[in-house]
Amino acid sequence: MPDGSYAHPQQRQFNPYTENGGTILAIAGADFTVIAGDTRQSEGYSIQTRYAPKVFRLTDRAVLAVNGFAADGNMFVKKVKQRLEWYRHAHAKDMPLRAIARLIQTMLYAQRFFPYYVYNILGGIEEDGSGAVYSFDPVGSYEREACRAAGAAQSLVQPFLDNQIYFKNQQLPPGQTRPLHLSLSDVLSIVIDSFTSATERHIEVGDGLEIYVVLAKGRGPQGLEAVRGAQELTTNAEGDRVFIVRRELKKD
Amino acid sequence: MDHFPTSWGRPRTEAYDAYNTFPLHQRPNPGHKDAFAEGVQRTQQPIVTGTSVLGILYKDGIMLVADTLASYGSLARFKSIQRLHPVGSSTVIGASGDMSDFQYLQTLLEELIIEEFAEADKHELGPAEIHEYLSRIMYGRRSKMNPLWNSLLVAGKKDGKRFLAYVDLLGTTYSASTIATGYGAYIALPLLRTAVEGKEDTLTEEEARKILEDAMRVLFYRDARSLDKYQIAIVNDEGVTISEPKKIETEWGFAEGIRGYGAQIQ
Amino acid sequence: MNSFVSRFASTGHDVELRKAREAFGDEDESLEMWGSQAGFGPLSKGVPSFSVPAVPDPSAFLRLHTDDHADPSCRIKIKHGTTTLAFRFRGGVIVAVDSRATAGSYIASGTVKKVIEINPYLLGTMAGGAADCQYWETYLGIQCRLHELRNRERISVSAASKYLSNLVYSYKGMGLSMGTMICGWDKTGPAVFYVDSDGTRLKGDVFSVGSGSTFAYGVLDQGYHWDLTDEEAQELGRRSIYAAGHRDAYSGNTINLYHVKEDGWKFIGNYDVSEMHYEGPAGVGYGYEIRTAGKSSANPPPEPESQTAQT
Repeated sequence: MPDGSYAHPQQRQFNPYTENGGTILAIAGADFTVIAGDTRQSEGYSIQTRYAPKVFRLTDRAVLAVNGFAADGNMFVKKVKQRLEWYRHAHAKDMPLRAIARLIQTMLYAQRFFPYYVYNILGGIEEDGSGAVYSFDPVGSYEREACRAAGAAQSLVQPFLDNQIYFKNQQLPPGQTRPLHLSLSDVLSIVIDSFTSATERHIEVGDGLEIYVVLAKGRGPQGLEAVRGAQELTTNAEGDRVFIVRRELKKD
Repeated sequence: MDHFPTSWGRPRTEAYDAYNTFPLHQRPNPGHKDAFAEGVQRTQQPIVTGTSVLGILYKDGIMLVADTLASYGSLARFKSIQRLHPVGSSTVIGASGDMSDFQYLQTLLEELIIEEFAEADKHELGPAEIHEYLSRIMYGRRSKMNPLWNSLLVAGKKDGKRFLAYVDLLGTTYSASTIATGYGAYIALPLLRTAVEGKEDTLTEEEARKILEDAMRVLFYRDARSLDKYQIAIVNDEGVTISEPKKIETEWGFAEGIRGYGAQIQ
Repeated sequence: MNSFVSRFASTGHDVELRKAREAFGDEDESLEMWGSQAGFGPLSKGVPSFSVPAVPDPSAFLRLHTDDHADPSCRIKIKHGTTTLAFRFRGGVIVAVDSRATAGSYIASGTVKKVIEINPYLLGTMAGGAADCQYWETYLGIQCRLHELRNRERISVSAASKYLSNLVYSYKGMGLSMGTMICGWDKTGPAVFYVDSDGTRLKGDVFSVGSGSTFAYGVLDQGYHWDLTDEEAQELGRRSIYAAGHRDAYSGNTINLYHVKEDGWKFIGNYDVSEMHYEGPAGVGYGYEIRTAGKSSANPPPEPESQTAQT
């Protein structure tokens, strides 16, 4: 209508989604994977809490980070964990990482017409002992990658990772070669720098940082022993091992 | 096929607004496809509403506060409604938002507690379990596009552990040492955080009460949907106590000196 | 009898479970989800089932909440794939694609695998919703394997593509978005079928799909003929995707090249679009200014370095 009114009565639709900020990140090494996320949860300009975990240990070799709408994310993690437990009861072993990735695809795609508003990053160790990162879109398209950032500060962090991990747009001095994989201590520094920088420039990022480190079976803790406050979460010391490292981020 | 990438992954326009006549958020109602759709009533907006609930941790437990008003739009319709509700012996919930949905939740929780009691296994639901139950109910309803229009605080103390958490109509949950719903999240929360953060284990009951009373006073001055009558719920090792309604002591003398905005600008 | 009783009982654990499911809205938890069936998601009941929002018009709901160039406030950004091509010639089928995925104007990924390896003899391409293509072409792979087991022979490309086309047609109007080419070699020789989410299914020699398809077609059509050698055909596919990557903002990053022959498909290589521009696959860049350097006054030869140093 020219006057801005409409002939039929308007029904205001309930909006079942919101956005809760935060950023997640994962980097795969040769025989380890690092998965991290900040712990701020916000809505609009309000900080709801300074500690709401976004990264979750699924098994001794798989860690899932979720970002987007917190209610969907928590429910999704709950359902994935339930499926993994059922799998454990049926097969007497943990589900392999690539199978978890496919499971997550089918679970996300089941909601194709009422999507989970969640960006997932799955990190861990494959059956061949290599570090792996799988990233997903909200309806389940996925890809194995070496590194991935998602969430509010994705557009700040991902270009930095492209440069530091993939050596994009770096000119090497003549005669020098690039390492195929970075060391764990280098990766941890890159992760921490990514989050302190994102905290500086993005209002929805900050408060705390949780970094999960998954080490392949048989790999020593080199690169981790110098790290302050690393805490082991492994349930079976024979296989792959999971550690968590916590750091503070700026709270303003 | 539409080859333009940003049009991908979504239903085609001609399915409901062929000529893109209206901005997306103001599309006219496509009309009811289901002849019985009107027979189903859903809370699409809250009607009789309560305003903020505040909650803080202190040395011995948790304290919640809410005023006793249930508004009908801008009308102060019911002036002595209790918005704090005990659940079991170690939990209390506080509700803002639609009061009829809150009453429905009360009946659900009552049923839950009775069923749990009937098991007679000496197991009791604590605050964490009540919060999990409520968050599953709230998320389940939002997923049916039929939300319970509330923001709830769940507080309690069980086995010596304090618990304070939030859940709302979308199923969003979180836990913190100070939480406020509604306007309280903008007006009272900064005051509460300054007063409480870092002092959760040292604040006495009297200090905590004072902090909440001060916050309620500020809210009453600025929140047009609030009332100067409030109740405080305390959960500590002794269990849940909800106080009788109390008046907020107010001082309006300063109002005379306010100039520069509103109707009166001279 | 017992099941009858439990169905209508008002106490007991079955009832508790039923009530909980009703209250929490969990409907996907059936026995099929348990044990070996776990992990099949909506396929666990055989026929895929999806949850749909309880609103009068579910597709309007999906449209409201997923991304739109007219309304950037929509939050759910679904990944999009962009330029793909496939053509049939004497030596088989060439499939070439780019690797860029965009969400709005942000490049969500530059390493997307847009060729989906359905089985050793069938390839599908990805344009449109990345998840739609990945999921349904994986599903098609399952059906093709079942066809092999039932009929003791491989499925024809025609039948496989028809399976997919019928499937997406049953979801028409719901918001699926796929523009795909099903490529393979069967009893009839090399075959390419175009299938999209509108339900279109076309048999043909040359197809390109996506926002960069017009640029790809330009190169492809002028270089295409049936009797190309394998090397010429691969070069044509690569050069066509390069053209799209160069001129279309939604396409680029790298090129993935596949060749389907009688004994199945083979991955030929991954080529960086920028490298193709400056160096090309064999040291000669595809780029216009690279090819024409020094051949006109508008594009003069670079001044020798020694001279610059003197002045």
